[in-house]
Amino acid sequence: MAKLETRGLHFSYTAEKKVLNGIDLILEGPPTAIVGQNGAGKTTFVKVLKGLLRPSKGSVYFNGEDIKDQTVAQLSRHIGLIFQNPNDQIFKNRVLDEVMFGPSNIGASRDDARDQAMAALERLGLEDEADANPYDLSLSERKLIAVASILAMDPDVLIFDEPTMGQDFEGKDLLKQIIREEHARGKLILCILHDMDFAADVFDRTIVFNQGNVLLDGPTREVFSQKDILESAFLEQPSPTQIARVLGLDGCYLTDAELIAALKN
Amino acid sequence: MGAMTLYVKQRSPVHSMDPLTKILYVIVSIAVTYILRELWAIAAMTAVTFLLLVIGKVFRKIIPVLGLSLLLIVSIIVVQGFFNPENETVLFELGFLTFYEEGMRAAALFTLRILNMIGSFGVLILTTKPDDLVESLIKRGFSPRFGYILLSVLQLIPQMSATMGKITDAQRSRGMETDGNLWVRTKAFFPLIVPVVLNSLNETRERAIALEVRGFSSKGKRTFLNVTEDYPYRHVIRGVLLAVLIGAIVWRVWT
Repeated sequence: MAKLETRGLHFSYTAEKKVLNGIDLILEGPPTAIVGQNGAGKTTFVKVLKGLLRPSKGSVYFNGEDIKDQTVAQLSRHIGLIFQNPNDQIFKNRVLDEVMFGPSNIGASRDDARDQAMAALERLGLEDEADANPYDLSLSERKLIAVASILAMDPDVLIFDEPTMGQDFEGKDLLKQIIREEHARGKLILCILHDMDFAADVFDRTIVFNQGNVLLDGPTREVFSQKDILESAFLEQPSPTQIARVLGLDGCYLTDAELIAALKN
Repeated sequence: MGAMTLYVKQRSPVHSMDPLTKILYVIVSIAVTYILRELWAIAAMTAVTFLLLVIGKVFRKIIPVLGLSLLLIVSIIVVQGFFNPENETVLFELGFLTFYEEGMRAAALFTLRILNMIGSFGVLILTTKPDDLVESLIKRGFSPRFGYILLSVLQLIPQMSATMGKITDAQRSRGMETDGNLWVRTKAFFPLIVPVVLNSLNETRERAIALEVRGFSSKGKRTFLNVTEDYPYRHVIRGVLLAVLIGAIVWRVWT
C-alpha cells in the first residue's frame, strides 16, 4: 500500500507570498479529495508531492523515503500526476503512441508498452480511437487520453488535477469507476476537485485547503457536514446535502441515492 | 503566476513618464549614438540610459539581457582589437596577443552602441505597461492592427516560456528526463516543441475569434477605456530630446 507523508511543508514562489504554510499530512488508504477555493495551494501542493516543485522548507516522504534525491522522471514510475490541460502534453499524432510514451520512458519494452497502453485505452473506452490523431478528438476525450497515458505507467500513487472539468455524466461515471478500480488494486488516489458532488460521491476522505493551510481533514461525511467552516473557505456543501437541509432532514447526505432513500421513508 | 509581460510594476519617475516620450527617447538615444563618433558623447548617452534604468528600479532586470549580449561584445572586442585594418598603435600586449588602440576604440564604440540600444529599449519595455504603450499609439492615430501586433510581440516571450514550463512539467511527469547530456536533451526536443507550437497556433485562432466577436475590425470611431493621463513636463522632455537630436546632427555636420 502506497503512502505519502509531508512534514512541515512550506512553499512560496515569491518571497512576499507564501503558498503553502506548513502542511503536515499522512496520505494513505482511502481515495482522498482535495478541495479549496482558487489559489488555496492545491495544485502547488500536488506539484510538490510529485517533485515538480521543491519545498522551501519541510519534506515529502514516499513510503518512508525522502523524495528530494530523485528526479521527477525517476519518481514518475511511483507517482503519476494527471494535469488539467491535456494539450500541454500531447505531441504524437497517434493516440496509441501518445499513451505508449510514458511506459517506454520508464523502461517498458515496445511490446509491453503497447499492451499496457491498449489496456489503459480499453478501460477508458478509447480502444477504437487508438489510431486516431489526438487533435481530431474532443477536449474531453483528450483529457481521457491524458488519464490513459498515466494509467499505462501503472504508478503506485495517482494524482488527478480537476479530472471532472468538461466531462459529462458518462465521463464522470467512467472516472469514478477508474478511481474505484485503482483503489481496489491498492493504489493511493488523490484528486483535486471543484465539483463537490463528485467529491462527496466518490471519495472517502476529504481535505479542505485554505490559504496554504489544511482547514479540515477527515471522513468526507464529517467534512461536508461542517457548513460554517466550509463557507469560511468559500466552499459549498454538495447539492444532496443542501437539498436535505432545505427540506429539514437531519444528518448529512452525500449522494442522490442516500437522499432519495431518506425521502422515501 | 505573474502577468504575461516583461513590464515591471514599480513606482518611479520613469514609470510615470508618457509612453510616447519614452518611445521618442529610444529613437533619439539610439540615433545620437550612431550620428556621433566621439567616444565621450556616446559614453554619456549610454550613462544616461543606464541612469534611467536605475531610477526606474529595473536595472536588475536588464542584467540577464546584457549577459546574453556579452558573447557578441566579446567577439567584437576580439575581432576589432586584432583585425581592424587601421590597427597601428599597440595599446598593450598580453602574452603573444597584441591589442591595437584603433581597434579597441572601434570596439568600445560598437559596444557602447549595443549597450545603449539594449538599455533604451529596456527603459521603454520594462517601465511601460504594454496596454498603455499600445493605447497611446492608437490614440495618436496608429492602426489598432499595428497595436495588436506590437502587443503580441511583447507578450510572446513570457507566454512561450510559461507554456514551455507547463509542458516540461507534463513530460517529466511521464518519465522523460530533461536534464543530462546532449543526447538526452535532443531526445527531449520533440515532446516539448510540438505542444508549444500546436498550443500557440490554437491560441492564435482562439484569440482572433475573441477579438472579432468584440468588434475588432469594426469601422466606426473608437472610444478608449482609459482616460488620457496628464503627464507633467512631457512637452519639456520632448523638447529637450529633440534639441539633443538636432544638436547631434549639427555637431556631426560642422565638425
